[in-house]
Amino acid sequence: MTNAPILSEPVGAEAAARLVERVVGNGWATDPAGNFIYVTPAILSALGLTLYELNSVPEQGHFGWRSVIHPADYDDIASIWRRCLQTGEHYDVEHRMLRASGAFGWSRSSGQPLRDADGRITGWYGTVIDADVQSVLLNRLPAVADPDREKAALDAPRPLGLIHPDDRTAAAHAAARAFWTGVPQVIRHRQRQPDGDYRWIETRSEPGYSVSVDIDDLVTDKDPPAAARLPVAGTSEAIGAARVVESIFGNGWAFDAEGRWIYLHPFAQNSLGVTLEYLNAALDEGHTAWKRLLHPDDYDRIAATWHHCLATGDHFNVEFRFRRASGAYVWARTAARPARDGQGHIVGWFGIALDIDVYKKTVAALRDRERAFSQLVDMVPSHLWQLTPDGEPVFFNRRMVDFLGMDAADMVQPGKSGLATMIETSVHPEDAAPFGDALRHCFRTGERFSMRYRLRRSDGVYRWMSSGAEPLLDADGRVLQWYGLCHDIDDQVKAEEALRSRELELQQLIDTVPVQIWCVTPDGDPAYINKTMVDYTGMALDDFDAEGGLPSAIQTIVHPDDRDSLHSALGHSFTTGEPFDLKFRNRRSDGAYRWTEGRAEPLRDETGRIIRWYGANVDIQDSIDTQEALRTSKRQLEQMIDAVPVNILSFDPSGKITYTSRRYLESVGSPLAHVEDFDALALDLAHPDDFPTMHRRASEGFATGQPFVNRFRRRDRQGAYRWIEARAQPLRDENGTIVQWYIASIDLEDEMRAQQALRDRERRLRQLVETLPAMIDCAAPDGEPVYRSRQLREFLGYDLEVLDGTGKSRLGGTLDAGVHPDDLDAVKQSYAHSLSTGEPYARRHRLRRFDGEYRWVETRAAPMRNGEGTIVQWNVICLDIDGEVRAREALRLAQDRLSRASQAASLAELSASIAHEVNQPLAAIVANSYACHRWLSAEPPNLERAKITAERIIRDANAAADVVSRIRALFRQSAGSRSTAAIGNVIAEARDLMAEEAMRRRVRIEFEAQAGLPMLALDRTQIQQVLVNLIRNGMEAMEGVAAERVLGLYAGRADEGIRIEVSDRGPGLDDPDKVFEPFFTTKQEGMGMGLAICRSIIESHGGRLWAEKNEPQGARFIFVLPVDTKAHHDEE
Amino acid sequence: MMKNDRVVFIVDDDERIREALAELLESHGMRSVAFGSAGDYVEADKPDLLACLILDVELPDINGLEFQRQIAEGEHPPIVFITGHGDVPSSVRAIKDGAVDFLTKPFSDADLMTAVQTALDQDRQDRSTRAELGALRRRYLDLTPREREVLTLVVSGLLNKQAATELGISEVTLEVHRRNIMQKMAAASLADLVRMAERLKIPVTHSRRNPGGN
Repeated sequence: MTNAPILSEPVGAEAAARLVERVVGNGWATDPAGNFIYVTPAILSALGLTLYELNSVPEQGHFGWRSVIHPADYDDIASIWRRCLQTGEHYDVEHRMLRASGAFGWSRSSGQPLRDADGRITGWYGTVIDADVQSVLLNRLPAVADPDREKAALDAPRPLGLIHPDDRTAAAHAAARAFWTGVPQVIRHRQRQPDGDYRWIETRSEPGYSVSVDIDDLVTDKDPPAAARLPVAGTSEAIGAARVVESIFGNGWAFDAEGRWIYLHPFAQNSLGVTLEYLNAALDEGHTAWKRLLHPDDYDRIAATWHHCLATGDHFNVEFRFRRASGAYVWARTAARPARDGQGHIVGWFGIALDIDVYKKTVAALRDRERAFSQLVDMVPSHLWQLTPDGEPVFFNRRMVDFLGMDAADMVQPGKSGLATMIETSVHPEDAAPFGDALRHCFRTGERFSMRYRLRRSDGVYRWMSSGAEPLLDADGRVLQWYGLCHDIDDQVKAEEALRSRELELQQLIDTVPVQIWCVTPDGDPAYINKTMVDYTGMALDDFDAEGGLPSAIQTIVHPDDRDSLHSALGHSFTTGEPFDLKFRNRRSDGAYRWTEGRAEPLRDETGRIIRWYGANVDIQDSIDTQEALRTSKRQLEQMIDAVPVNILSFDPSGKITYTSRRYLESVGSPLAHVEDFDALALDLAHPDDFPTMHRRASEGFATGQPFVNRFRRRDRQGAYRWIEARAQPLRDENGTIVQWYIASIDLEDEMRAQQALRDRERRLRQLVETLPAMIDCAAPDGEPVYRSRQLREFLGYDLEVLDGTGKSRLGGTLDAGVHPDDLDAVKQSYAHSLSTGEPYARRHRLRRFDGEYRWVETRAAPMRNGEGTIVQWNVICLDIDGEVRAREALRLAQDRLSRASQAASLAELSASIAHEVNQPLAAIVANSYACHRWLSAEPPNLERAKITAERIIRDANAAADVVSRIRALFRQSAGSRSTAAIGNVIAEARDLMAEEAMRRRVRIEFEAQAGLPMLALDRTQIQQVLVNLIRNGMEAMEGVAAERVLGLYAGRADEGIRIEVSDRGPGLDDPDKVFEPFFTTKQEGMGMGLAICRSIIESHGGRLWAEKNEPQGARFIFVLPVDTKAHHDEE
Repeated sequence: MMKNDRVVFIVDDDERIREALAELLESHGMRSVAFGSAGDYVEADKPDLLACLILDVELPDINGLEFQRQIAEGEHPPIVFITGHGDVPSSVRAIKDGAVDFLTKPFSDADLMTAVQTALDQDRQDRSTRAELGALRRRYLDLTPREREVLTLVVSGLLNKQAATELGISEVTLEVHRRNIMQKMAAASLADLVRMAERLKIPVTHSRRNPGGN
């Protein structure tokens, strides 16, 4: 791509250099003769040179920049530069150049001539880039070149030599730009293959990486068209800039200020399969120029950014997917900057596009490979390390770092070698010296290192390691590195130690167990005896052998009487392979023969062949002695048990009967055949009524291991049930485990009978006292009650103990709480007198019953004395005499009432009736009379009003006269003007009379009359008066009632005639009889005559009037009128 | 000729009595309104005129004397009691509680009319007293809280100096308050102010000898 840009005049070499500088970071420009006219100031200052010094020719025709070029390179590049100036060919060299640090570093200088429209060179522009890194990058290009042919490319540095000459500049600049800018670069170029052909390669560069991919098959146009040469007049600033950039980076493009494509590298057009016209058509459709190029998902985002940049002039730098000619989308990065005119107006845009798709994928693959390798090193289940030839740690793998808690770098400490630090901090102190010696020996000799040592883990625990190291040698046999591996073998080492110590323990065990252990060959030759046996018999294994093997040993140590049986038993076992087991007497080393139990079993190999007999002898002399002693003591015990007058049984922990004493068998008999355990025995012998309780208790006892006692009736031998007491006690061994239950039982029958008789007597006595129709009380000598009969408790409503703790004595408390306050002092005095003198007590007083009612009681008390005459108890009887007292009181009251009633009948009833009934009409008459008088006296007289008042006077006077005549009739005690009337109608009239008042008082009147009631002969006015009176009384009684006020009227048949009831829901009457007494009143202004008169009226009709309680509340006044007898009588 | 500036209320449960009394009063040119019970009377809409209440002692819903006591707190026309059974204790009690008269049925025209006239005169007197007091009360309510405090101290007889100390203000300030009070209450003199305070039942809480005491 040697497409040197044709630039319009305003774009001189210096401007081109500045353009390059904008992208790469530095740039230079010269005139056609090669004199520098511009160098990026940063470079100048880094070199410490001025522009003038660069151009000066101080000595022998050398360039001014000679001082900054490595002397070895200067001649070559100076001659190339001179040649380029003459020929106008592209200048591209690598050389060592002085750095700011004072050292030489590889750099690359590139230059390009700038020509006018006639092709004359008007100047040079270029750039210098640090090639150290670039060289590394390019060296990684995977192509393998033929060194010979490579050498042939004299005008290019080695790696670039493989690249097609036309593409070299672009490839070099892509790598450089990747390094300088950090932005990934993609370049397509042709690369020479070993066969000499060029293939298209796509190389993607990033700092640190460069990946090349063969894309030869993808490129459709292998020979890219020559750059389109636009007419000079039409070249815009943007295209020019685009070309400059492209000349260095490839893939340039340009837009005009409106964002319309004006240039796209022909190669790109070709590979994308688009033309500028095709792309720009999108603008006419209202989109941006990118529309037809981008992946639909990316377009909106890019379009927004593009619009923003067009509007503001901000740099355009985006990543997007674009469509290739093949139709596939790939990732690309594109960057653009505005080109401005002299006034700073944007005249267009130039930029580049970099395909990053393959790069992205390939880089990911590379990184994965490296990561996999690095993981492999870290994941190897072993510690890997690397040392320098002189033993300094340079690398530990992840596992080792984790184990030590330190990395190789951590070993570096001032004044010490890393190795020394590692040995000091990480190797077990006991292993440190040998470890260091061995390692140093290896370093000296180059021998392989191998050793076991303990290494300190980060938690401070030392673990055994098996370590090995080998040197990596160069061709001359010099050690380059030591690579080592150390493997954690701690668990194996520990296991080996454990095994050894277990073996030792086992040996000790066998030697210390108090059992004689021996081992013989299948033929019976002794092979081993343990220390216990040696000690016991006083013979070592050698002794056995010395004396002729097993037979002679038996001869020596076995009791003469047992030798034959031992011989035959052993012989039998050896022949048949059956286990050996025999008790025989063995001579102990002290010469005493002791019973021994010998056992032996064969050990067989996998084929079943006996390879050894292992035996053990146990001295059982002591246990035989003990058994004998036990038998003796058991016999004695049984004799004793049978002698004691108690039945004894024993059971094992499961409940099985293990022993029955002789006495038990005599009194109860042998258990039945099927009776083997406690449950069955209890079921068989215990009285059915007692069985549940005794069995439950026993079961609890057995379950918990607690001793228990049962009293129950048990059937004896004769079949009679007798009371017994059985006590059970567990026997425990030293561990506390129950080994036996013992139950001892004694006969309680006689005792139980006596107790029962006593209880019966006491119960009878108590019942007697409790059922006596009197309240009985017993008190201590000081008067404190100690017992109260049921009647007394029920009367008081509390038990004896209730008043305890109140601070008063029981007596005082009872008296204070119970005796009527008016009687209390006298009662207390009387009690005190009796208690102090011992005289009997007798008194009547009122005592408070449980319901609060005071009832008259008569209490008498007398002392009970013992043989010496001392008082031991007071017995008190208390009789309820309330009925008696009250009856007497009632009689007295009745007499009082009688005398008062007779008085009232003559005097009060008369005057009160007159006052009540006559005064009102009279007052009205008087007032009316005055009014009448005034109407008549007026001027002129008001006759009309006078007449009205006069009529009222007559009416009222008649009413008064009516009252008077009725009163007179009343006191005549005879029916006045009786007429026959239906009582229902009479009641209805009375109700109507009272209707207004009832409404005012918010009283509802309910009236119910049986159908078909007979007619009655009665004084209508009088009966109405009674009804009105009773109704009004009822309504007044309900005055304070909040609930519904209902007054009931009822008429119906009764035995004696017709019964009329007036009921209310007021508070009711305290004394239903008293209300009929004259002058009795509950009302403030009443005279108390109403009901008395009412009763007189009803009685004068031969009927009866009384009051009752109304249910659920209130009062009910009832009168009965006879149906015919009286009526007939009156008519006669 | 009916006098329209006055009315007599009659409360009696007996229709005949109500009728006769109304007739008699009308014959004297007196308007009357009759009620069958105390409850009816209380609930009724009554004209605000010079008035007199003829009240029966034996009422169905309440004892007349009790009723008198209940309404004693409020403003009500002077009462003339009538009763069927007059007894001395009742009449004494009624008169003590402010009744004008206590007439036993049947009563004479002259007794009734004298009692009614007396009652009406008394009502006129009561009304004017109430009006004065009302004006006085309105004036008192015009005082600021501070002025009311000052008034209490001044009518208790405290010297200006003492009152100022009591309130923690200067004597000059107190005098300003005092002038304002006199003006607002339209009091001609301190004596006049003391009389007003008495009628307003403002308690005397301090004394000159012991200004801080209560």
